Amino acid sequence: MFESLQHLVNGFGIAATVQNLLYCLLGCIVGTVIGVLPGIGPIAGIALLIPATFGLNPTSAIIMLAGIYYGAMYGGSTTSILLNVPGETASVITCIDGYQMAQKGRAGPALATCAIGSFIAGTIGIFGLVFLAPPLAEAALAFGPPEYFSLMVFGFIVLSNVTGTSIIKSLMMAVVGLIIGTIGIDPVTGDARLTFGSISLLSGIEFVAVAIGLFGIGEVLINVEKPSEMLEQRVLVPRLRELYPTLQDFKKSIGPILRGTGIGFGVGLVPGPAPVIATYSSYMIERKVSKHPEEFGKGAIEGVAGPESANNAACQSAFIPLFVLGIPFAPPTAILLGALLIHGVSPGPLMIGQHPELFWGVIASMYIGNFILLILNLPFVPLFANILRIPKKVLLPLVILFCITGMYTVNNSVFDIWMMFLFGGMGFLMRKWAYEGAPFLLALVLGPKLEVAFRQSLMISHGDFGVFINRPISVAFLLATLIFLLIPVFRIIIKSMKKGGV
Amino acid sequence: MAERLWTNPLTPSLSPSGRGEGEGKLRGEIQLSRDEIIGGAVIFLFGAVTTVLSLGMPIGTFRKSGTGMFPLILGILLMFLSGLFLLRLFLKTRATPEKSSAGEIPGSSKQLVLFFGTMVLVTLFFNRLGYPLSSFLLMLALLRILGVKRWRFNFPLSFITAIVCYFLFVQWLKIPLPKGWIGI
Repeated sequence: MFESLQHLVNGFGIAATVQNLLYCLLGCIVGTVIGVLPGIGPIAGIALLIPATFGLNPTSAIIMLAGIYYGAMYGGSTTSILLNVPGETASVITCIDGYQMAQKGRAGPALATCAIGSFIAGTIGIFGLVFLAPPLAEAALAFGPPEYFSLMVFGFIVLSNVTGTSIIKSLMMAVVGLIIGTIGIDPVTGDARLTFGSISLLSGIEFVAVAIGLFGIGEVLINVEKPSEMLEQRVLVPRLRELYPTLQDFKKSIGPILRGTGIGFGVGLVPGPAPVIATYSSYMIERKVSKHPEEFGKGAIEGVAGPESANNAACQSAFIPLFVLGIPFAPPTAILLGALLIHGVSPGPLMIGQHPELFWGVIASMYIGNFILLILNLPFVPLFANILRIPKKVLLPLVILFCITGMYTVNNSVFDIWMMFLFGGMGFLMRKWAYEGAPFLLALVLGPKLEVAFRQSLMISHGDFGVFINRPISVAFLLATLIFLLIPVFRIIIKSMKKGGV
Repeated sequence: MAERLWTNPLTPSLSPSGRGEGEGKLRGEIQLSRDEIIGGAVIFLFGAVTTVLSLGMPIGTFRKSGTGMFPLILGILLMFLSGLFLLRLFLKTRATPEKSSAGEIPGSSKQLVLFFGTMVLVTLFFNRLGYPLSSFLLMLALLRILGVKRWRFNFPLSFITAIVCYFLFVQWLKIPLPKGWIGI
């Protein structure tokens, strides 16, 4: 425990250098701006800015990208409250009571509660990260290929279950992502696979091209297809009044903040889009424990404090599986994994020992980032909200230019831009046909790891599939997978029984 | 009421009230439309192509799997899932009349084709034109396509954007972007 604290102190030494502080500040500002812009979100934001970190050392790069991640989470709540426009997924719940508070002239307390709740959650979350990550990393050393395979399958099923319109569509997208991930050199035999003789495809499909294509270009194309009158519309930015919450507000908020932190931290450790699940769970629990559940949906401060704290805590704890297992359980951390790999760092149980400066530096920077965000979010909210004044017909070409520039800088290759357009077209169709991009992206990142784990497991067992069920940790993950697969089936049965009963 | 500028791919469909009235559609329900069938069929075809291509590679045994083993399993799995999806869709379509797409926001396909075509065209000549000129022309054309027709607005805006991007990426971040025939 004391060793971890000592490492944390060293981490603060690394994070507090002028260079890293500046990158942390830059990441937080850019992240907040991205969070304020509806739809871009942390996934596209990190993906777009990965190329900008190529000239940096891995620690500074991850500090900046992590800053973008939680900055976007903070920023997303701003427009949810002021304009009823969720900047990113996890802010959807905040819209419900946050916007109602703003309508009653209490936008200030809502925003301040958001910022303070997120700060408290972030602080507690960081201490959880400090004390839980090292023992979990040691436990992860007990994981062999079968355990990793089962864990990744579990991750896919959970993610497919909680995202999208139907589990079967999400699973299909995950399998398509896995197939795309097999393009390139076979990780076991070293043979070229599905490359059609192209040298550019030997190293596989460029992850950044897929991420920017699916989320950035796909979203732009969806907007371009809308009638031009819709592109003319501007968002009205309201004036900010009464910035500070009252003592009564604090009293009402502290319980939800602490509960939200606990829920968020726990949910962040399991596979899936943690911030989304955490905010939903926190809201439901707060409504359940409240003495006045009828106030929820009409501007209850608890409905803002709980979910926002859960959101931030989940973002912090989502770094644990990324750093100690090398497995991202959520799309933003999947992109961060891509960034780590680009910078030559392989996350996993040995990362804390091999790259202590990166691990502890990033953790310390999160705390500093939380503080920066608190300062940023309180006084500068009206300023950030002004970005929404940019009309879409100007914003969309700017995004395209930025996407093309960012994509070219990855390998100085026009081929990557073509790939980005291809996946942009795919992202457009996926949005039209209501398919989720998240399982696809996660599968693309994890695909090679999953394949290696699968093939190594079968090599160890001489082709016996029993290796997946004879090992306790592996079978536990597979059983959990089965339960998650059966949940929708049970739902359908219960629904049809209820219908039959009526 | 503020209109959502963009919809996040991960965000459940949200009503203007923000109450997630569309959440009922989130799970399990399959929208019975022609698009759904086309989507399912395309994915089935993708699985079939993957399977055929995998069979052309060494498969090996489970003990010592070849290059084609994993894609083959995935191709078959995708065909199974998309087949199941299409089957469910057909069964539901028979039980319920197909939903009309009336009431949906009419899309501007011409604008989309022009927009995407411009992106492709500029990329085709990206290396020859160079970064500053490409970014200027791209902005100018895309702004016009999206309805910013006044030259006194879109010309300076495109010019300033190209200059700012040039100084940001080329001069400040030292990223080697194409110089093209203008040589900067």
